[in-house]
Amino acid sequence: MSPGEIHGLIGENGAGKTTLARILGGLVAPDSGKVRIGGRAVELSGARQARALGVAMVHQHFSLVPSFTGLENISLLDPGAWNRRGAAARGYRERVEARARELRLAVELDQPVGGLGVGARQRIEVLKALMPDPRVLLLDEPTAVLAPQEVDGLLAVLRRVADAGGAVVLVAHKLDEVLAVATRVTVLRRGRRVLTTEVADTSAPELAEAMVGSEVAGSASSSRRRGAPRMPGEVCPRAARLAGVHARRDGREALRGVALEVRRGEIVGIAGVDGNGQRTLAAVLAGVQRPDEGEAELPPEVGWIPQDRTEEGLVGEFTITENVALALHGQPALRSGPWLDWRGVGEAALGVMREMEVQAEGAEMVASALSGGNQQRVVVGRELLRSGSLLVAESPTRGLDVKATAAVRARIRELAASGDEAPGIVLISTDLDEVLELADRTLVLVRGRLLEIAPGERTHRAIGRAMLGAQRVGNDW
Amino acid sequence: MAELSAVSSFLVAAVGLAVPLALAALGETVTQRTGVINIGLEGSVIWGALGGALGALAAGSYAGLACGVSTGALAALCFALFAVRLGTNQIITGTAVTIGSLGFTGAVFQSRFGATGIALELPTVAALEVPLLSDIPILGPALFNQAAPAYVAYLLAPLLAWLLFRTRWGLALRAVGESPDAAYAAGVPVIRTRLLATVFGGALAGLAGAHLSLVHTGTFAENMSAGKGFIAIAVVVLGRWSPWGVVAAALFFGAAEALQFALQAWDSELPYPLFLALPYLLSLAALVGWFGRARAPGGLGSQWPRARG
Repeated sequence: MSPGEIHGLIGENGAGKTTLARILGGLVAPDSGKVRIGGRAVELSGARQARALGVAMVHQHFSLVPSFTGLENISLLDPGAWNRRGAAARGYRERVEARARELRLAVELDQPVGGLGVGARQRIEVLKALMPDPRVLLLDEPTAVLAPQEVDGLLAVLRRVADAGGAVVLVAHKLDEVLAVATRVTVLRRGRRVLTTEVADTSAPELAEAMVGSEVAGSASSSRRRGAPRMPGEVCPRAARLAGVHARRDGREALRGVALEVRRGEIVGIAGVDGNGQRTLAAVLAGVQRPDEGEAELPPEVGWIPQDRTEEGLVGEFTITENVALALHGQPALRSGPWLDWRGVGEAALGVMREMEVQAEGAEMVASALSGGNQQRVVVGRELLRSGSLLVAESPTRGLDVKATAAVRARIRELAASGDEAPGIVLISTDLDEVLELADRTLVLVRGRLLEIAPGERTHRAIGRAMLGAQRVGNDW
Repeated sequence: MAELSAVSSFLVAAVGLAVPLALAALGETVTQRTGVINIGLEGSVIWGALGGALGALAAGSYAGLACGVSTGALAALCFALFAVRLGTNQIITGTAVTIGSLGFTGAVFQSRFGATGIALELPTVAALEVPLLSDIPILGPALFNQAAPAYVAYLLAPLLAWLLFRTRWGLALRAVGESPDAAYAAGVPVIRTRLLATVFGGALAGLAGAHLSLVHTGTFAENMSAGKGFIAIAVVVLGRWSPWGVVAAALFFGAAEALQFALQAWDSELPYPLFLALPYLLSLAALVGWFGRARAPGGLGSQWPRARG
């Protein structure tokens, strides 16, 4: 890699992207081989040393201290934040703010980051990595959680970093983003480099083929086909109903009078910029948070694909089988009294792994040992099994590669079209393309309120405007 | 033959001393598996000892055991209402419950019996000899000529191992301890699970306390729990949060204590506190991983829901 280069690193889940980035970032020592920075072979033994050599990393899973404010998190590893006596350097806050303005990153510096939405946290993470002006910036799937205009903003930030002479490594799933911003691209498959090329010399189909091998090249360009819209007069039984729901999260009012009706067999898409009440709405629909006011009629068993798979989706120290059992342990078919039908659960787990093509050594593998994408596959597959008459899916394809994304979307469509037994599906996603592709109706969640988008106005622009009207930074529950 | 009987009586003492530790530690294992660390366990032990004494005076020794179970559970409920329900810091709350219980039981005892210094005489729980099994040479009398609480401990170890690792309840319970967020998302009632597990732990600690007053001594004295609750917490760690491991660790502590008594009697040249310290040194060794590292439940000691901001 050379200065000024933006290098896209792409590949399927488990292809080794994150591992390669972690080696560069000094978090993992290579079993063999050398890392060279500025022409010198270096042995990186820790993030601090990598940072001293000018390598900064933005992690796929956030490395922020939840109880610290944005400013505290940013200053934590930045030597420039402290003067010689170890006190906070004067003017540091202004420098951070100036850098944020320069990069056009809207960040909230004074709220504890634990209470912020994923998008807001990520902006802080990016700013934190860029404060010491690194020579090499690594980003591990940074766009997975961002709204479209935020993605554009981030890619512009990366371009500015490269123009200033920095080298950027962008680990990504979405081909179009890599093609839009990268100058060179490397494709990994199962831990091997299969291709490195100038972006100008390649095309999306060629890269897609290199990523997945030749067999599924066609599915790479995401299909535009939507599920058949419901006939207007057709009335399916109701799956869930919210009326006048108010709910709080962390003491702040997150939902302010939400009304929503979901019928079986329909996909209700809820778009919106992250941090406008999505997590609370999902928790209320999943039946794990009771509304403070208003009514919620919900089925007894709800499938829920939570936004934060490592914290809410899986128990890291449990095996895949145990994680499947945990979600399904209430299902009559798998229990009798205190007993769990472990054979049945084991079969269910293997079924999930087959269905979702989870790359693992077996169902007895511990969940935390799976790659992020594979963890997500387990959660999605399991919740598709669990959903009775209602499925709540929060950004279900976040962090998944093209092939897995296509598979998950196809499964969701299939589920919605599965006849009388079909669940109602609420798709809460910050990926507008996903909502438009899958949903039968679209609503926008804005500051805790739902706006219904009329069928004729389902365009990127109209919805984007509704979303943007709501865009607030930071303290946005 | 004399030597053989010395070994045998040592083993009887070791098992007898291990029983209260095993009971309290088995309960605490369940509690900690839900992510709650109940430092107030010592409080449940002393309340169990007093409850056992009062119950035994009122209605006989077995009623005393039942009474000790309930008072121990109540002390743990106090802890749980604050630390689990209201989300106060577990360590501080547990310490407060322990110190408060030691003082309060002393006050209740004095107001009932006065500070006369005359030892209280309680109806004790007699040892039950299991036919056939108690005839096994050496081990037989040690294991199968004990009072009822010992048999409770023998039955609980396999029962809890099965509950924790084979049933759906155990799965939900461990998930609460490892990752309360994920358990919550899967529909497990986190707070209720933690409350019940803590009260269960307190009930067993109460039984351990009643064992002290009704089996070991036949009397009650202030502060007679003498750190048994804290040792039980060490036993949980040494036993790596598994019921079988906990029983083994409790036997080990019991044996060390019996050895120390024996050495005191033998008038050995080594100072006996050295042997008293041995189990703790080995606990420290276990903590730093000399016997392979044990991993605590991921959410141990954490508040839930987490305070954000």
